[in-house]
Amino acid sequence: MITEQMRQEIDEILARYPAGRQRSGILPALYVIQREYGYCPVNAQDKLAEILGIAPAEVGAVVGFYNMLHEEPKGEYHIEVCTNVPCMLRGGNQCLHNFESALGIHHGEKTEDGRFALDHMECLGSCGTAPMAIVTDQKTGQIRYFENLDSSEDVEKALELLKSGNGFHSLERWTPEADPNGEGASDGPYRTGGMEPRYLMDRLNEPDSHRIETYEADGGYATARRVLSGIEPADMVEQIKASGIRGRGGAGFPTGVKWGFLPQGVQPRYMVVNADESEPGTFKDRIVMEYDPHQLIEGIILSCHAIESEKAFIYIRGEYYFAYTRMQDALAEARAKGYLGENIFGSGNSLDIVMHRGAGAYECGEETAQLTSLEGFRGQPRLKPPFPAVEGLYAKPTIVNNVESICNVTHVMRHGVDWYKEYGTERSPGMRIFCLSGNVKRPGLYELPHATPLSELVDKYGGGPQDENHPIKAIVPGGLSMKLLTPDQFDTPLDFESITEAGSLLGSAGVIAIDDRTSMVEVARRTLSFYREESCGKCTPCREGTAWLEKILLRIEEGQGLGRDLELMEFIADNIAGKSFCPFGEASVWGLQSNLLKFRPEFWSQIENTNPDDIGPVLPIRPDYRPNTHEKSGLRDSTFAPTGGNIVLHDDLVPGND
Amino acid sequence: MTDKVTITINEEEVSVPARTLLVDAARMAGVEIPVFCSHPKLDPVGCCRMCLVEVDGPRGTAMMASCTMPVGDGMVVRTDTEQVRTVQEANLAFILLNHPLDCPICDKGGECPLQDQTMRFGPGISQLIEPKRLAKKHYDISDTIVLDQERCVLCWRCIRYLEEWEDKPQLGLFERGNDTIVDIQDGRPVDAKTSGNIIDLCPVGALTNRVSRFAYRPWEIERTPSICLHCSVGCNVRLDSRTHQLRRIVGRENMQVNDQWICDKGRFAHAWVNDENRLATPHLRKNGRLTRVQWSEALAYVAERLAGIREKYGPDSIGAIGSGKISNESNYALQRFMRAVIGTNNIDHRDGGDVAALPTGLPALSELMKPQYGPDPQVDTVLLFGLDPSEELPVLDLHVKRAVLRGGVKLIIAHPRKIELTRYDGPYLAYLPGGESTLVDGLVRAVQDSDPSEEESPVYAAAKLLKESERTLIVYGPMAVRGESGPGVRDGLARLARTAGEGARLSYVGLDGNAQGCRDTGVLPDRLPGQFPLDDVDARSRLEALWGCDLSTSPGYTYKQMLDSQEMKALFVNGANPAAESPDWAASLEELELLVVTDLLLTETAQKADVVLPAQGWAESDGTYTNLERRVQRAPKAVTDPKSRAAPDWMIFTHLAKQMGANWPFSDAHSVTAEIARAVPGYAELTWEALGDQGRQWDAGSAPEVEETAGRASEGTSESSVGDGDYPLSLVTGTVLYDGGTLFSLTDQMHGMAHGPTVTLNPADAAESGLEPGSVVTVRSEQGELDLTLAIDVQVQTGCAWIPESLPGAPVGALINGSFTQRVKVERH
Repeated sequence: MITEQMRQEIDEILARYPAGRQRSGILPALYVIQREYGYCPVNAQDKLAEILGIAPAEVGAVVGFYNMLHEEPKGEYHIEVCTNVPCMLRGGNQCLHNFESALGIHHGEKTEDGRFALDHMECLGSCGTAPMAIVTDQKTGQIRYFENLDSSEDVEKALELLKSGNGFHSLERWTPEADPNGEGASDGPYRTGGMEPRYLMDRLNEPDSHRIETYEADGGYATARRVLSGIEPADMVEQIKASGIRGRGGAGFPTGVKWGFLPQGVQPRYMVVNADESEPGTFKDRIVMEYDPHQLIEGIILSCHAIESEKAFIYIRGEYYFAYTRMQDALAEARAKGYLGENIFGSGNSLDIVMHRGAGAYECGEETAQLTSLEGFRGQPRLKPPFPAVEGLYAKPTIVNNVESICNVTHVMRHGVDWYKEYGTERSPGMRIFCLSGNVKRPGLYELPHATPLSELVDKYGGGPQDENHPIKAIVPGGLSMKLLTPDQFDTPLDFESITEAGSLLGSAGVIAIDDRTSMVEVARRTLSFYREESCGKCTPCREGTAWLEKILLRIEEGQGLGRDLELMEFIADNIAGKSFCPFGEASVWGLQSNLLKFRPEFWSQIENTNPDDIGPVLPIRPDYRPNTHEKSGLRDSTFAPTGGNIVLHDDLVPGND
Repeated sequence: MTDKVTITINEEEVSVPARTLLVDAARMAGVEIPVFCSHPKLDPVGCCRMCLVEVDGPRGTAMMASCTMPVGDGMVVRTDTEQVRTVQEANLAFILLNHPLDCPICDKGGECPLQDQTMRFGPGISQLIEPKRLAKKHYDISDTIVLDQERCVLCWRCIRYLEEWEDKPQLGLFERGNDTIVDIQDGRPVDAKTSGNIIDLCPVGALTNRVSRFAYRPWEIERTPSICLHCSVGCNVRLDSRTHQLRRIVGRENMQVNDQWICDKGRFAHAWVNDENRLATPHLRKNGRLTRVQWSEALAYVAERLAGIREKYGPDSIGAIGSGKISNESNYALQRFMRAVIGTNNIDHRDGGDVAALPTGLPALSELMKPQYGPDPQVDTVLLFGLDPSEELPVLDLHVKRAVLRGGVKLIIAHPRKIELTRYDGPYLAYLPGGESTLVDGLVRAVQDSDPSEEESPVYAAAKLLKESERTLIVYGPMAVRGESGPGVRDGLARLARTAGEGARLSYVGLDGNAQGCRDTGVLPDRLPGQFPLDDVDARSRLEALWGCDLSTSPGYTYKQMLDSQEMKALFVNGANPAAESPDWAASLEELELLVVTDLLLTETAQKADVVLPAQGWAESDGTYTNLERRVQRAPKAVTDPKSRAAPDWMIFTHLAKQMGANWPFSDAHSVTAEIARAVPGYAELTWEALGDQGRQWDAGSAPEVEETAGRASEGTSESSVGDGDYPLSLVTGTVLYDGGTLFSLTDQMHGMAHGPTVTLNPADAAESGLEPGSVVTVRSEQGELDLTLAIDVQVQTGCAWIPESLPGAPVGALINGSFTQRVKVERH
């Protein structure tokens, strides 16, 4: 059922999207339904299908894909505890157990009174303030982050707050330290630091840093005002090319070069800002949107000027509810000032920015999957070519850029190309927000120029190992998918080229430090749990292979590992990497591959200590018998083919013989 | 024409058209690349990763998916390296990982691409010692299709078919990652009319045929290439039989007719072939009861009675009803018997002489088709007049949808109901039965001189489209041209086609499987074989020479006239069931001195007969059938019931002719086919052998011209299209796919799909009369009444009551009885 009131709200949502593209509003519309019922009932899904003019199964398929859309009620408060690697390193598992004992339920269950449902979740973008959980208030659909839940007391305190009904007085993140009286008081931005002065994270700690007045007092929007009426789009693209900004989302593709791929004269064209920050170990875009949203908006205004787009979408991950509200407020402020809308700054430019909330799918960070999701489908990647710059959103030219990349644009245009290139290296210019998490004393965000040595980040800014007695034995330099670096590589400069040379990738600059208390088998298993959970399911190797690897790793953890497992896992990983539909496949096994290579003895000892007799079926890794591949199979052997064209057996391209 | 590029596959150069997908290029070069998701009739998706091959590129050799990669000139490809083999092995290992390997109980076993590819490319061993993933098994996604989610390899073929061809995405991927499954939306079974094609497309045993499940093993069945006769599209099918029973029907490719697709009625509704109640011996009424007799006794009785009746009342007291459901051979033999042996033109079939048809059907189905790889449709606008392909001709519906979605074809629909195809953009011209002529006249006027003040009206929009189009095809069905006003409507449509411009053409399509062949072979009261008028000198002399007799020149009675007339004394009914159509006809059949029925089952009509002769169906004897584009196609004998004494109709009439002193030279069906080739100029050369497995169209140029009737179309307008206080609603009737006919209803599994005995009103009309949907109501006309369940649907216009033909136990004929337009009222029961 969809009530008249819901219908009105849904209609307003659908109106945000271009005419004929109302299907794009499917996720926000489903949020409306879920808020009403606590889940998405099938009859409401069917009704939504009718409103959108699509088949009911298409709605059901979307609901099934996204983690945050439920097919059954999740309780008044839905608690999700992060247990992925960065949280795990700081006690995420214990935190989950604390919730379990405090609530008296196992994860995946609901308390008898229906008030609380508990789940574990793989990465919520809060790696610097682990362990943590998010809580969804079913009545309002609001989400609040509860962070630094180090002890069982902290967990109880959080639950008390929720029970008191004051848990959602603010949506800003909650920590036990900031709310000594249990009133629901909010904490400010999490730890930031780095070089002085800072640019990307300049005003986060100022009071009302998110307000347009604060931003403008710092000279905000002056750049946009100047550029929009003074610099031709083509010239601006050249400047961005010259600045050498490289994408901050993970792949590091030069932003200006990407813009240059847009075909001339094709309108409409779209800007999609990738704010679906989901790579474990990465939590930088969140803080920008929560505490300095206008920096991003100015960047979008500038970027849209350069690429001559009049419509931008910000695809923000669904869990970032507070960031979403802050962005919404900021957009309203900018609109009220005339910085968005028609004829911005008298330049004749128009721009409309639409916030679009995802619903819990890592894969939607991949650009084609993000566009597919934004169009209202399951977030599965699509074929390239055509590349989004040529045929992207709604098959129109589209640029997809990361939040931090766009913020860099603001600073390049404000301070100039030469200024920007003073930072970093020739091929990795500029500054960068490094996300430091795991076993260090001071996890947080550090803005530093590219090529800052890894050890400087970890030791100087991060304060070194969390526990002096337990040295760091491995570091993931660029988000969980990247290959591990070992202590001999800790001096590597943090720029794209140096990290690549060291055998890994800088990725999203999510730096995760792992100390020697940690089992690398568990790291591997957690990593694969994440990728199994987040695989979109489109292609075989990734869908099947990640789950297989997880099952093997779980078995090893449980003490039933076999000697052959390591070689088998390498075989599986080799046949996922580079064989899958999108880069997710590689990302899912790089960590494991490097882990098996560099920490093999840990895997061995786990197997030998727990299953010394190697008990289990003995099977060769590769078969003894292989069919003769030089022989034609019966499949296409004419002697087996029945007359009359058997299409069941033959999938041949047979032209009509008439 | 197409640019060619040269690529190197496994060190051998091949030249293929530019933009060909690598997987197809390899196939052209004779190199086998294993695939699951890739399919030559679906868009590439690249999800199974089975087809990875080595491609040399600027940055070294890479493993690329050959099913999504178009070839480029100079491309160097290797499919047989160690790396490729390793990946194939690993990928098959992935695919088999959670596959249940329940091949011994899987219908697909023995014809399963997964089995075959595992044999050829697989690892030969399983590495999995973890528990397998579990999912729903043998779970019905419709009355006809069973899904096994554990066997599914997620190739998306079924999803893509329903999306790309049916434009009904009723299956989708649900859940995510390793839990991804193919499923329907809860409570929404697949109901696309050609959904069964996804069973053929499935490369594993995930989708199986609920009707044929466990009824065969692929290595035991005999496969006979045949055609379907449920409607006039004439889809090519394959009949799979075992132990004298038809076990399964699958689609067979014919790029001129059905591509590779068939509809669900054609695929699943075949239980009647092996039904235990099939007539197996002749029956003769003795002491008021039908009694089993020998053929000799039955035939001698019929011959003797016919001779007597002809003696007493003259030859025109004897009539015969043929059928669009039986073969050219049988229909030809029937009309030859009537014309040459009895000496009358009283020969017709339902939708025969009472319908103002045109002789040549569609120009060609291929002009409307948009195959995956192939030219665009040759028409740019289609006007469907009184035709609902979704219910009447499902594969034509598929072609039309595809042409609209991918071929840029514009659609105009004129129909009393807002039929399913109206969901596509394009003018919808509503009319009430009886209002056809007025609508056609209006269209003609709008095309001639459009009045700008009426720009908003659909008629104007349609006229504008017709004027702009260069290759319009106007297609009308029997519903639009039944009865006295029919010729006027037909001529109006012809005028419309002329007015619309040079490229515009007009076609009539019949609905029954052999509707066209029935006309071609002369089962018409006013037409000789070849559809020549009775007084056509050439045709007469040709046939008189061939048959060795003189032919009557007085037109015979039409189907309706034969059944209405009191003067008929003897009637042959061959594969038709008029008794079920109307209570009055059922009564008038009782009055006959002699009723001979030839059929497959003891129909309502057969129950009234004096003699019932058991016929063989289309699967049991060789026969040819002519589809709606004049394609003559073969349906060879595929099954035989060794216990049955049923005979093909042509053989029955050959023997009957012999009893009455005429010796026909027919030794087998092929010899009848050969005589048709001599009797009908268009069929010259179309012998059994020449037709082959894909059939041949007869030359439209050989058909006689149709003379137009004098006067304007609107002269035939029936008064019943005008409102009437006592009977406020206009009755709309017509064909639905899943009706109550025996050919459909004997398939138990499909019972849930059958259209129930309902009358459907527009919600506004139902509300006005205070009637609740689901309640039992009485529909009354001046002719009679009928109790039905009320349904409401906005697709039904206001002022209309929609009651399909052939509903189980609810003959709409009770209301119309003779007239083709009728006013009714609907009341609480």
